[in-house]
Formats: sequence, C-alpha cells, structure tokens
Amino acid sequence: MYSKEVEALIEKQVDDVRIVDDRCLFATSDKLRFENILHALRAQKVTHLSAITGVDTGNVVEVIYHFDCQPAELNLKIPLPKDDLKIPTITEIFPGAILYERDLMEMLGVKVEGHPDPRRLFLPDDWPEGVYPLRKEFREKSK
Amino acid sequence: MTFVVPIGPQHPALKEPEFFRFEVRGEEIVDVDIHLGYAHRGIEEAFSRRNYKHNIYLSERICGICNVVHSTTYCQAVEQLAGIKPPERAKYVRAIIMELERIHSHLLWLGIAAHQIGFNTLFMLAWRDREYVMDLREMISGGRVHSATNTIGGVRRDLKTEHIPTFLRGLEKLEQSTNYYIKLFESDRTILARCANLGVLSKEDAIKFCAVGPTARASGLKTDIRRDDPYGAYDALSFNVATEREGDVWAKGMVRLREILESIRIVRQAIKEMPGGPIRTRVDLQIPPNETVERTEAPRGELLYYIRSNGTEIPERVRVRTPTYGNFASMKSMFVGGTVAEIPIVIWSIDPCFGCNDRVTLVDSRTGKTRVVSFDELRRRRK
Repeated sequence: MYSKEVEALIEKQVDDVRIVDDRCLFATSDKLRFENILHALRAQKVTHLSAITGVDTGNVVEVIYHFDCQPAELNLKIPLPKDDLKIPTITEIFPGAILYERDLMEMLGVKVEGHPDPRRLFLPDDWPEGVYPLRKEFREKSK
Repeated sequence: MTFVVPIGPQHPALKEPEFFRFEVRGEEIVDVDIHLGYAHRGIEEAFSRRNYKHNIYLSERICGICNVVHSTTYCQAVEQLAGIKPPERAKYVRAIIMELERIHSHLLWLGIAAHQIGFNTLFMLAWRDREYVMDLREMISGGRVHSATNTIGGVRRDLKTEHIPTFLRGLEKLEQSTNYYIKLFESDRTILARCANLGVLSKEDAIKFCAVGPTARASGLKTDIRRDDPYGAYDALSFNVATEREGDVWAKGMVRLREILESIRIVRQAIKEMPGGPIRTRVDLQIPPNETVERTEAPRGELLYYIRSNGTEIPERVRVRTPTYGNFASMKSMFVGGTVAEIPIVIWSIDPCFGCNDRVTLVDSRTGKTRVVSFDELRRRRK
C-alpha cells in the first residue's frame, strides 16, 4: 500500500495524518482506537513491524509504531499522559514486537499490559527500579 | 530432565559479547533465552546531547562493519528534516561505498562461517579476498573500515577518474572468487554436511517475527529496502533481490554470496552512470521542529532511524533500530529442535553484530534452577 491507500484505510481511526511522500506517512491515534487499526492493517496483510519508538515530550510519552505497509512506512503515534503510562501489548497480532516492547518498558517506563515476557532487555539487572534512561527527568538529573 | 548450557557472554561463536542460555535434553535444544545489553552504550541518549555534525561520527561508531550505512541513513534523515537534497553525484558515491561495505561484510561472514564449521582453508581464502575490497575502500575514502565519507548534504570525498581502472580490476577479481565460492557452496561435502538443514527458519516464522535482511530472504521472503523503498541512487540502479527457500544456514550463506555478485553489478553500474557535478551542498543545521523516518538496507537487513528535531542544532530524539535487533526475535525458532553441536554456526548464521559486562548465571545443583546474579551480589557472596 502507498501512503494514500494507508490513509484511506485508517482515516476514521486517526486524528491527523501527515503524508511525507508516497512511501512515508505519520498518523496520530489513541489507545481506544489502536486495536482497530492493528486489525485493519493485519487484514491488509501488513505483517512487518519495523520498530517501536518512545519519545518523552514532557508531560506526554509518545509511542510510535513503525509499520512497513509495503512500500509505505506508517508511523503511528499513540500519545500517553505520564500519569497513565499504559498501553496494551500488540504481540498477539504482531509477535515480532516482543523485544521492542521490552525496550519501551525499561527505557521509558511505559507499562505494556499483557506482555508475555516483561523482563528487562538491555539494562543490567542491578539497574535501580523506576529509573528510565530515556526520560527527560533522567537527562535533567545527569547533566 | 533438562540441563542448562550457558554460552557466552565471552566469545559465543564470535568475538563479541552476548549471553545465550540453552536448555537441552541430551543433545537436543528445547529452549533458548538470549540476554542482550552487554554492549549497550546508551547511544540513543548520547545522540540527543550532541549536535547534528558530531552525531555523524557517533552514528558511524554504532557498528564498525556497517559504519557507512549507519552514517548514510543518519545523514539522509537529517537532510530530509532540513528539507535539502544532496547532489546526484554524492548519492552515487554513497551507493558505491555502501555496496563495497556489503561485499566486505558478507566476505567476513563467509570467513567466520567457514571457521565455525572447521573449514579453515575457506576462511583464509575469503579473508584474502576481503582485502581487495578493503583496498578499494581505502582508495576511495582513505580508511579501510571507517570511511568517514558521509556528511550532511553529501559526501566529503569524490571518486577520482584515475582510480576507476584499479576499481574495475578489483571487482573482476572479486567476481571470480565469489563465483568459485558459490560453486563450492553447491558442491562441497563439508559445507553441505555442516550447513544444510541446520537452524531452519520457516517462511511463516520469518514473517511472524519480522525477520529482516539476508535472514528473511533465505527463508523465501522477497524483502529488500533498496528495492521496496529506494533511497539515494538505488532508484536508478538495477539489481536482483537474491532469495532462497530453505531457510537453513546454507541458504543464508547462499543469499549472501549471491548478493556479493549483485553488489559488484551495482558498483559497476554506478561507476559507469555516475553524473558529474558537486558532491556536497551547504546545510543550515538549525533545524525547525520536524520528524522523519529513514530506512536503508544494511548488509544485515533493514536499518531504521527516527529523528525528531526541535529548532536547535541538537536533535530531540534519535531512535536507531539495527538489523540484528530485528532478527533476535526469530532466533528461538532456529535453535529449538537442533543439537548443541550446531549452536555456533546457527548463532553466526544471522550474522549478529553485538557490542560486554557484569553478570553471571548460577545453576543451583540441588534444584536445577538458574538465576542471574549481579556483580555486587557476587562480591558479597565471596566475603
């Protein structure tokens, strides 16, 4: 699917869509409609999740899912307020997300609900609880 | 009753640190757990503390072998953020050095794979031929491995006309030897006995676990970012995507060997069709708030950079998803059902690239349970 086709597919489930070019688009949605998008993508034979990125923007952590829709790359943003950092796992629909979700949990403190193996991935086992290295607070403290 | 065989973190098939915990019943592997992070250096955070110029050098140091593809992806992403286009000639120079990188990476893989299966002659031969590529890379960029050629807005060094004959001669030699290795892979008894039907990744699992690069292509998935989402000069260059169906170690090797031939074709084409003109443009590096995603095909597969700018000369966030990271999820299905003797070659079959430190696994001899203890705890126990 090219960007226009991806846009048509998820139009109703997202708030704003920014098409960069034929093969790249950004879209923002929320937790409630997230699952519908996943099922819609899966129904169109989108199987490849390139990565999951977490960005701390201050009061909100934006979780960005990068889906390869062959050839368009859909970058789906789900903003999560810092007082409710929870998102359901997508490993049932996209099993390849398993490591990216572990990464997201330890680096940004986003709780991925229902994750089959919620251990740490990269950080050492004696890393203190509740310290998330990609958060703004961590950056301020270590300056 | 199962036993645990810890492999690593020192030297698990290759000279890089990673820890694998295999659960075995007799000779058969029933489960595997991979501990990552021994080479975690906090590079993503380091990106957001340096300016765009310094980050070129940081991106090059994520991985020694694929430094060019890292810096190319980073530079392309920043170019896109800043809304500028590099000159055509620069795109071709980038394509040439990236393909040389692929050739040298695949030959390095072949050498170590040969060493893993006890075929040391092939190891020596492959690494001898790798020197031809290294010489070509040195000629074009001044560095055998680290090329430091890329910059935001183009490249820093040009391919000189007087270098082209030497270049073509080098490619000729590489082509001959690669054809010989392919013949060897098809007929040699040692290679077939040690590589065929081992570490099989089925096409279904490759899709399910989002495998990338030669690992996915060896399982019959026709995926290649150079073809699917062309960047730089790849739109204008023609090449085939090498795939195999078997999904075993043999297929992963064969895909890489055939890719070397394709890379040689690409370099020849690029040299022939290379336009003249400048090799870099000036860029204002105070980049207004924006975000972008850039994907490229590294020697090991899809490489993704996500960059967000914030109006200053320091990026807000840089996310790097390297191909090996993408392939780890699919590793379990390659091991389970196999035997202990095949562990090294199967680990090596995805061409992993990790970077080491502070933990040990203890197996309690009474209960058979294992757990990881930290360095501090170990020191306390010793007292």
